[in-house]
Amino acid sequence: MLLLDYQNVLIESVLKERFAQDAPPASIDQTVSDFDGVTFHISTPETKTKILLSIQIRCFRDLVQHGAEQVLQREYGDYVTSTEPGYDFSVLIDVEGITGEKEERDALALKFALLKRNAMAAPFEAAYQEYYQLKEEASKFTSEEAPKGVLEGGQVKAIHYREEEAIYVKASHDRVTVIFSTIFREETDRVFGKVFIQEFVDARRRAIQNAPQVLFRNDPPLELQGVPGIKTTDGEKVGYVTFVLFPRHLTPQRMEDVISHIQTFRDYFHYHIKASKAYIHSRMRKRTADFLQVLRRARPENEEKERKTASGRTFKVQGS
Amino acid sequence: MANQTPAVVMDNGTGFSKLGFAGNDSPSFVFPTAIATKGGAAGSHAGSGSGRPSVANKPSFLTGGAGPGGHLSAKRGTEDLDFFIGDEALAASGGPGYGLHYPIRHGQIEDWDHMERFWSNSIFKYLRVEPEDHYFLLTEPPLNPPENRENTAEIFFESFNCAGMYIAVQAVLALAASWTSAKVTDRSLTGTVIDSGDGVTHVIPVAEGYVIGSSIKSIPIAGRDITYFVQSLLRDRGEPDSSLKTASEIKEEHCYVCPDIVKEFAKYDRDRSRFAKHVVRHPNGREVSVDVGYERFLAPEIFFNPEIYSSDFLTPLPNVVDNVIQQSPIDVRRGLYKNIVLSGGSTLYKDFGRRLQRDIKHLVDTRIKASEVRSGGARSGGLDVQVITHKRQRHGPWFGGSLLGQTPEFRSYCHTKQEYQEYGPSIVRRFALLGGPGGS
Repeated sequence: MLLLDYQNVLIESVLKERFAQDAPPASIDQTVSDFDGVTFHISTPETKTKILLSIQIRCFRDLVQHGAEQVLQREYGDYVTSTEPGYDFSVLIDVEGITGEKEERDALALKFALLKRNAMAAPFEAAYQEYYQLKEEASKFTSEEAPKGVLEGGQVKAIHYREEEAIYVKASHDRVTVIFSTIFREETDRVFGKVFIQEFVDARRRAIQNAPQVLFRNDPPLELQGVPGIKTTDGEKVGYVTFVLFPRHLTPQRMEDVISHIQTFRDYFHYHIKASKAYIHSRMRKRTADFLQVLRRARPENEEKERKTASGRTFKVQGS
Repeated sequence: MANQTPAVVMDNGTGFSKLGFAGNDSPSFVFPTAIATKGGAAGSHAGSGSGRPSVANKPSFLTGGAGPGGHLSAKRGTEDLDFFIGDEALAASGGPGYGLHYPIRHGQIEDWDHMERFWSNSIFKYLRVEPEDHYFLLTEPPLNPPENRENTAEIFFESFNCAGMYIAVQAVLALAASWTSAKVTDRSLTGTVIDSGDGVTHVIPVAEGYVIGSSIKSIPIAGRDITYFVQSLLRDRGEPDSSLKTASEIKEEHCYVCPDIVKEFAKYDRDRSRFAKHVVRHPNGREVSVDVGYERFLAPEIFFNPEIYSSDFLTPLPNVVDNVIQQSPIDVRRGLYKNIVLSGGSTLYKDFGRRLQRDIKHLVDTRIKASEVRSGGARSGGLDVQVITHKRQRHGPWFGGSLLGQTPEFRSYCHTKQEYQEYGPSIVRRFALLGGPGGS
């Protein structure tokens, strides 16, 4: 498994099972976690055929600022319901109201499993729109005479999706910049992380020319100047990974994929750090087994044994 | 903290892994503890067969000791990520190129390489959590060597950087799961656990949360044997479909425990309606009907009269339980008789608990009577035998873990990453007893 899935596997499988034709009604009550401290609650509060799915995201307030409600309304439309207390957003699915073939039902289940992805997508979609707008405006000017606002681009959208980490999205007329601030609590992880990010940085140079440009630095990049809540003093601990999305990535056809990919960056990154550790451990185990084998073989060739007579007396071999 | 992340409960068994979050009433994922990796299944990978790492003939420092075997270290690239776990593993191993491995044997982890990757995939792909944010509750079989615990801790703290972890003994969790039964009033962690899964049945006495290791007994009769027995009965009768799958379906849908075989035979002969039909649907749409007869009550009967199935193991389950308790220290025996808890899929037959309770009670009463006679007139106060069945039996250990993992004090029982770094892996040799006296 190289890439992580975007949808929540558990929600997908639960819903698929419930959506299936002539599935027996059953009550569900499960709390499900997802990456970045997201919590889902899937339950059947009233009747067994009405499934309530609620999501709690810590940065929901940030997302709403950037139009999450519109995006969710667009995606889930009629399913949106009054929010369950303690959660940020809820949808209610009436199983009896679902029609269609198996593929359609599965697609619907997948759609609900993508709830987190869709909620997180809002700021990115907003940035896309902003980019189209700015491009439109910028095309009216040549680069020299453009007024100040156009070249500098829009506001930085900050999503504080984890306690100490955030995603910053900034649109300008020729690119969209996505910056992740990452924190490593673990020394080893930091080392692994650096190697990985270096790979990302180099990928463009070596093979994949179409990849977005990736930059990594320990101090806040210029784009983030003046953004509140950026610490400059942490030194080594905080890293800033910058993705520069070029017009090539910013076509409306690519939008869905790009947003999905970039959202899972942090999880992908940490998953691979851990997978590399597992790989190194496996090599270490193998090496230990080999060394043990060497040790086991390393016996002295003819061991000097003390020879005894039947009565227990010893004697020395003479003339040696 | 208001929005504390739920603890992750993982019960990795020989056959199936149960994964989920504490507080839920059933595991989120139940899939085979299997991993499919590139390369053949047999022998090409360290420890796949005997559990002993296979070593290359001539270790060389240049190749990293890989030798001729197709070991991971000889590969460059992302081969180490090319694997599947669970049901996907079974599916992948059907095709070419993948070999299937079971990293856990007899309840104990044998292949740490595979297990580490199995865990990594279950955390990131299925549960979708960051291990840094969650506490983990893992299970271990009784008599697990402390080295295994240390290895587990190394993987969880060093590879995954998990926030904190607790390793609980499956039998103790099964006792905790029985607290949901109405019969249990005092929430003690003393009792006898009968854990019958697919491969083997264990009888484990637990006193105050500690397993009495010296008196554990295991019985080589479990779910798989019942399936084989049903299959052999079907074959004897010449039924149109006697595959293992059909046998196991019949076992799960139709079987129950009867109070007396002889009477049950007579009942069946009087009343033909007791014979059931089982319809098997083939993937090509064909339907075959299989008669289900005496095996409905005969199959689970092999626990109580093993001689009808096996010729080398002949002690009935009630006798084994009685022996186990008799071998335990005398001051806990009363508690062990009073709280016999069932766990695992092969204890789900209707009236299994009732029959077991009756048979054990019978054994105990006979013994008391005999000693009364011998002592010449002294009267015994009698002994309470109670077998507890409850709704969560199937995933008993997992459910117990979920129950204990959601308690507010669970985190204070865990060992955290800081403690691990301070003391090293040996810290996990000891855990404070979760849910014991002083807990809620």
